[in-house]
Amino acid sequence: MSSGGPERPQLVAHVQQALSYTLFDCKWVPRSARLLCLGSAARGTGLLQLYELQGGRLALLREIEKAKPIKCGTFGATSLQQRYLATGDFGGNLNVWNLEAPEIPVYSVKGHKEIINSIDGVGGLGIGEGAPEIVTGSRDGTVKVWDPRQKDTPVANMEPVQGESKRDCWTVAFGNAYNQEERVVCAGYDNGDVKLFDLKTMSLRWETNIKNGVCSVEFDRKDINMNKLVATSLEGKFHVFDMRTQHPTKGFASVSEKAQKSTIWQVRHLPQNRDIFMTSGGAGSLHLWKYEYPAQRSKKDSEGAEMGVAGSVSLLQNVTLSTQPISSLDWSPDKKGLCVCGAFDQTVRVLIVTKLNKV
Amino acid sequence: MPVWLREYSWRQTGSAVYVSLPLRGVRVTPANIFCTDQYLKVSIPPFLFEAILYAPIDDTNSTAKIGDGIIFFTLYKKEVAMWDSLTLANANKEKLQCIRENAVLKAHEKAKEETEAKKVTKQEHKKYALEATMKLEEAERKRIEDLKEKERQRVTKELELWKKQQKNAEEQKRLQKEGELHQEVEQLKEKKKEKMNKTRIPNEGTSKTRLKPTKGHGSYSMFSENLKEEQLPAPRSAATIKINFTSRVFPTALRESRIAEEEEWLRKQAEARRTVSADLSELEDLKEEEKDPDWLKDKGNKMFATGNYLAAVNAYNLAVRLNNKLPLLYLNRAACHLKLRNLHKAIEDSSKALELLTPPVPDNENARVKAYVRRGTAFCQLELYTEGLQDYEAALKIDPKNKTIEKDAEKIRHLIQGTVQDS
Repeated sequence: MSSGGPERPQLVAHVQQALSYTLFDCKWVPRSARLLCLGSAARGTGLLQLYELQGGRLALLREIEKAKPIKCGTFGATSLQQRYLATGDFGGNLNVWNLEAPEIPVYSVKGHKEIINSIDGVGGLGIGEGAPEIVTGSRDGTVKVWDPRQKDTPVANMEPVQGESKRDCWTVAFGNAYNQEERVVCAGYDNGDVKLFDLKTMSLRWETNIKNGVCSVEFDRKDINMNKLVATSLEGKFHVFDMRTQHPTKGFASVSEKAQKSTIWQVRHLPQNRDIFMTSGGAGSLHLWKYEYPAQRSKKDSEGAEMGVAGSVSLLQNVTLSTQPISSLDWSPDKKGLCVCGAFDQTVRVLIVTKLNKV
Repeated sequence: MPVWLREYSWRQTGSAVYVSLPLRGVRVTPANIFCTDQYLKVSIPPFLFEAILYAPIDDTNSTAKIGDGIIFFTLYKKEVAMWDSLTLANANKEKLQCIRENAVLKAHEKAKEETEAKKVTKQEHKKYALEATMKLEEAERKRIEDLKEKERQRVTKELELWKKQQKNAEEQKRLQKEGELHQEVEQLKEKKKEKMNKTRIPNEGTSKTRLKPTKGHGSYSMFSENLKEEQLPAPRSAATIKINFTSRVFPTALRESRIAEEEEWLRKQAEARRTVSADLSELEDLKEEEKDPDWLKDKGNKMFATGNYLAAVNAYNLAVRLNNKLPLLYLNRAACHLKLRNLHKAIEDSSKALELLTPPVPDNENARVKAYVRRGTAFCQLELYTEGLQDYEAALKIDPKNKTIEKDAEKIRHLIQGTVQDS
């Protein structure tokens, strides 16, 4: 399966490192060959490890231990010079750390009553415009947007109506941040709900239900007019929504693909090419996909309203690396094709995807 | 009695014997010819030819040619010699028999040996084929591995190169910033000298040394950050968006739902609603609404409420005749029978209702509780207390918070214990 024709991208396993703790998230440090592993040690404390790619192996540079296990992290809301890491942990705390001086967080708030499942940042790293903001989604059913300059209260809070039974929020993503005012947050919940919140108008812009719990959502680019959104779910399905045209009743057009029998844990778009994305699966496999646009991206329906036309998705390559689910995946923003993935078999792997120029 | 064929003719050379045997009017197949090293027989019932040969022959190489009405044997002698005659002269009956039997045995053995040899060669061929395919596959695999390995090495080299470039770029940036910092520090120093403020200088000292660590974050950031902050918009004014979650008929997410059972229940309900066609002739004179089981059920309920139990039973009876799949009809009729003290009928109806209320889902909980309670009451009134208690406990299991059921169950338990103690 992994060989294929001579022109297909190959997923080459470059380095593999066994860890002694459960790995929940792994991220590249921008503008460097260093990566960060976030997780939970056996004794119930959180662990942050900084590795550097040296030759054919990963060298541990720093290890930082924190009180609560860390579930997720992002560099999305910091500047390139500062490179502060924002993390969400099992206790519902959002912390922003300066990795030079990690004893005291730069910003800290107990944002949620339960574990923060997912975090995303926008406005930093020289990408996009507008204020840097961090969004967190938690098991308590709420999605909150934070500004590191404002202490203790979120700048936006998406919570269930009083009396509504809450559903866990499993994933959040920023998008549409193409100027200083516009921004949207997309949240996926465990009952299959996908909701799109517009932060400029502070309203719910669109919602849909994809039947199975949503494990991961991502826009293809955060800093452009929203183009595509991929939502992955349990039972091996993922949906690609075309976000350029919103129909008043039907919402956004989508194409869905059933890739594998197990849960698709993560989807990540290649930073250098927004039509290529990788999904990671519960059976330890990685699939590389390419989206092809249709001939016409929108058409008129019977009443004359514009509706979008979804394109098609084709599988470029796949590889099985592990027997355990690959729960986290990150592309390096600096080197095309370099990515890191972390699996529940306590191993972090660095992969190189070749021939992406020819796709 | 076989017909012996004796009209054969033969001639010989030093190494072979040629026998020709005329056979008129009979069809010869190879199966009719039997030959061992010293015995030759042709048997086409009723004709029979046999010859005990003068000397042994090589029967594997000898041939028999079946022509039109004639068989031509070419027998190769084992020893080159001239035979006096084709057959052995003196041959008494016993000897003949012996020879015949030997011949047959020999033939059998030969056949066995041949099959064995065949098997062995077959095995060897198979093995060879297998090994050949394995070699081919191995070669293919190796080729693919080599390709992958090459890719890997190439890519590793690229990565190293890129890293070096990164390092160089960082170094340059750092040097540049250091240069700038020095300049700014110089300017500040001059300013401070003017203001005579000495406290900043130790800071600068430390900030210089902090440029050394490998991370390369650099502390020059404090200068650039101040400028940037002014360009960012102010934090958003706080707001809350209220959301609702998608509702379902059954409020559980897909992975939690016992969807098969729930679907079944819904389907049953839907089926039950469709009225069974009333082919009862007496019903023709009834009004349209009186043929609707739901309407009849409502009528029955009203009459039950006013205390007219017999009329209620009648209404339910008619409804059941029209549609015997609605569990609620049986349930309500059971209540009426209880009031009328038709206890056996009450039990029957409650049981029928429970039957129809499968599969057990949260939707029909209420109905099931009522059915169990009514049946339990009927049992108790018939003094079948143990059965009654069973039903009450079943009801409690579905609805553990119901106090009346609990109290009643307690009462029954006491009654049972009381009767046990008496006897």
